[in-house]
Amino acid sequence: MQLSIAAVGLGIVNVVLAMGLAPLCEGILRKVTAMVQSRQGPPLLQPYFDLFKLLGKEDIESGQSPVMQRFAAYLSLATVLTVAMLVPMGGHTPLGKYSDVILLIYLLTLSGVSTLLAGLAAGSTYSLVGVSREMMAMLTLEPLLAIAIVIGAVHTGTLRPDQVLAGSVYHAGSFPLAGMMMFLIILFALQAFVGRMPFDTSEAETEIMEGPVMEYSGPKLALFKYARMVKLFVYCALFVALFVPWGQTGLYPVDIIILLVKILVLVLLVTLVAATHARYRIDQVIRYYAGLFGLALVALVFAVSGW
Amino acid sequence: MAARDVLNSIKKRFDGVIQRVDVPADNRLYLYVQPEMIKEICRYVFRDLDARYVISIGMDDRQHSDSFIVAHDFSFDRLNVLASIMVNLPASRPRVECISDVVPAANWAEREMRDLLGIESVGCPNPKRLILPDGWPEGVHPLRKDVPWNYVPPDYDETKEYAFDAVPEGCVVVPFGPFHPTLDEPAHFRLFVEGETVRGCEYRGFMVHRGIEKLADSVLTYNEIPMLAERICGICGCVHSVTYIQAVEQATAIQPPPRAEFIRTIMLEIERLHSHLLWTGLASHILGFDTLFMQSFRIREPIMWIAEKITGNRKTYGLCVVGGVRWDISAELKRELQGVLDNLEKEWTQVFQAVKGDKNLQARTRGVGIADRNLVKDAGLIGPLARASNIPTDCRRDLPYAAYDRVDFDVIVEDGCDVWSRVLVRVREIFESIRIIRQCLEKMPDTPIQLNIKDDLPPGRIGISSVEAPRGESHHFVVTGDENRPRRWRVRAPTYQNLQGIPAMIKDQQIADMTISLGSIDPCFSCTDRMEIVDIRSGSQQVYTQEELLRLARQRND
Repeated sequence: MQLSIAAVGLGIVNVVLAMGLAPLCEGILRKVTAMVQSRQGPPLLQPYFDLFKLLGKEDIESGQSPVMQRFAAYLSLATVLTVAMLVPMGGHTPLGKYSDVILLIYLLTLSGVSTLLAGLAAGSTYSLVGVSREMMAMLTLEPLLAIAIVIGAVHTGTLRPDQVLAGSVYHAGSFPLAGMMMFLIILFALQAFVGRMPFDTSEAETEIMEGPVMEYSGPKLALFKYARMVKLFVYCALFVALFVPWGQTGLYPVDIIILLVKILVLVLLVTLVAATHARYRIDQVIRYYAGLFGLALVALVFAVSGW
Repeated sequence: MAARDVLNSIKKRFDGVIQRVDVPADNRLYLYVQPEMIKEICRYVFRDLDARYVISIGMDDRQHSDSFIVAHDFSFDRLNVLASIMVNLPASRPRVECISDVVPAANWAEREMRDLLGIESVGCPNPKRLILPDGWPEGVHPLRKDVPWNYVPPDYDETKEYAFDAVPEGCVVVPFGPFHPTLDEPAHFRLFVEGETVRGCEYRGFMVHRGIEKLADSVLTYNEIPMLAERICGICGCVHSVTYIQAVEQATAIQPPPRAEFIRTIMLEIERLHSHLLWTGLASHILGFDTLFMQSFRIREPIMWIAEKITGNRKTYGLCVVGGVRWDISAELKRELQGVLDNLEKEWTQVFQAVKGDKNLQARTRGVGIADRNLVKDAGLIGPLARASNIPTDCRRDLPYAAYDRVDFDVIVEDGCDVWSRVLVRVREIFESIRIIRQCLEKMPDTPIQLNIKDDLPPGRIGISSVEAPRGESHHFVVTGDENRPRRWRVRAPTYQNLQGIPAMIKDQQIADMTISLGSIDPCFSCTDRMEIVDIRSGSQQVYTQEELLRLARQRND
């Protein structure tokens, strides 16, 4: 099947949206955090300046294998941007016809793999501790979203992203048990997917000094930071597509604004949870994910049995 | 006569061993004993009489008694007595029996004596260097009187490296320090880690030892030392200056005017307030709970401002002189301070209510960094650390000084032995400090704030003093001397003892708990190392070698 110009164009629009607005979401997050903490906080646009500054800095090669380190930085941003092309924004799923949700699941896992590569490339004790934590977390966390997507696939009977990522967990308008369960489970896991407090164990600045990214500086660090911001944006968009897709008008600009409002609400939620919690220890994190995973399996059984 | 009671029970057991006794006050006891019996007496005092080990002090007294002096300080908390058990050692061969196997807490102090004075502890279980740098030549002991204060050894060996302990089988080394974002000061914990579990550690500190004690007994004068003492620590400086001054006053039987005592009490409590608020913030930050970190610091700020209004400085108060204080608290300042306290109490009550029931905080702190009663006793742990293990030791009540005998307050204890209990102890102590300051402001009599001392202070007298710092007991030992300066001044900061408990506290814990376990003793490395934090800002890009840095440092001095 040949890619249509329109699909490519919409894909680029999605990427531009994600890249353009992700730092703003980060800025809102930082500003609201500051308000919770009785601080003035940085200007709303500070994340843009940060990225700009980092990108202009000297590109230093460091760590055990600089080539892998560079690759990991590119990979981390590239994967989340590709995910942006598979996620519906404003009613369109750009690559909807040309891909399937299995690819989406792979890409989401790949963004975790880029962190692992970064840690291995640095090769310091702290980054390796971070790698082992990230690996443990990935193994228990990533299946959650996969299960949600599989439930959607079971309900729609297809693997096409444009159909699965359209509130399909609820099975054509009704509110089955499985869909409601997954909604809550992913809502509770969203904080972990975007790697924010209290689930940032693999970076944990005050314990293992940013773990995998400890050797990064300058432009490569900018890519990692950028990827992290885009991740927040894209995961929120993905959550909206899977669980709260309602309110579409069919008018593209209006739909985009509705989407952004929903994303904003999720970002605020993430911010408030992050600001009111202390970081969990890795064993506590794993236990938490494992609990959610158990529930997700139950939901999957419900979905397959048609509840 | 509490001191006499202690003396009599020691006398009964060790008749004829005691060479000389000095009981200058009801709460102080100085015993000179035969060197051969020192270990037995320490065992008896520490185990049978259940005294708390404070510190061991070495001193070069060859110019006066042709001997080295070693003093082991103990505190009888329930009897309110501080005792110093001393021996004279021959100048030609200063050797004394090691007491670390009966009093484990004495290990560092004995190693320090060997490093700085060359007093050998026979039978020391861990005879590694503690304080002197690796390249420092053997046989040169900087605290001896024949070594000048600015001595730079010509045969310093730059290439000599520290010999680390062997790594236990199955473990990898995770270097925690010398620089780590949660340490803020240089210290090196070499963790032996299996998976995510810490199996043991080796501590290496004293990287910033600055020889403050040497300066005091060779360059400065009595009233200059408090200014230096205050700069030992960036957080509890006033504690050190008060402890030093009280030791001098105690040695020379000077009684400061009552108003001065009240003002000292108030400033010490203001310092505790700011220190505990600071700690709450830093501990939250270690746990990644930055909201509480920021709120604590916001609540703390008015305390810094009122301190600046009273003394002219946020932190270094410049408060003490021998026989009094330098700053008075006017009626206007009193009212303002009361307002600050009212506000603090209101805001801190809210924080306390929020923290008390926080499940998330408890998940990270309950059962973490356990220090049980035996560890507290053996390692000589003090302050909030001991009080969180249900051991109600508090110098303010046990060894009253300044105006603490005239105010009413509770000693806060918790019984969890873990980090959570330490959080609760510190959070609750803030309310007690507020209570103490309020009472002081009401009861403060209208007297002068300084004595007018015209005579020279008599030489050769001993004074010891303990002050309850925010982190535990700060203890100073002073021997008065000629030329308007002490002959020996020994500082024992609370972290000096508390740090020795860390290896046992982090054993078999996760790496993630290491930082908060260490943070829970509120470590102050500058106190322990006895240095001053210097912030050097340099815009230029240049990598210095150790040699160049040393040269630069010395240039600054000249």
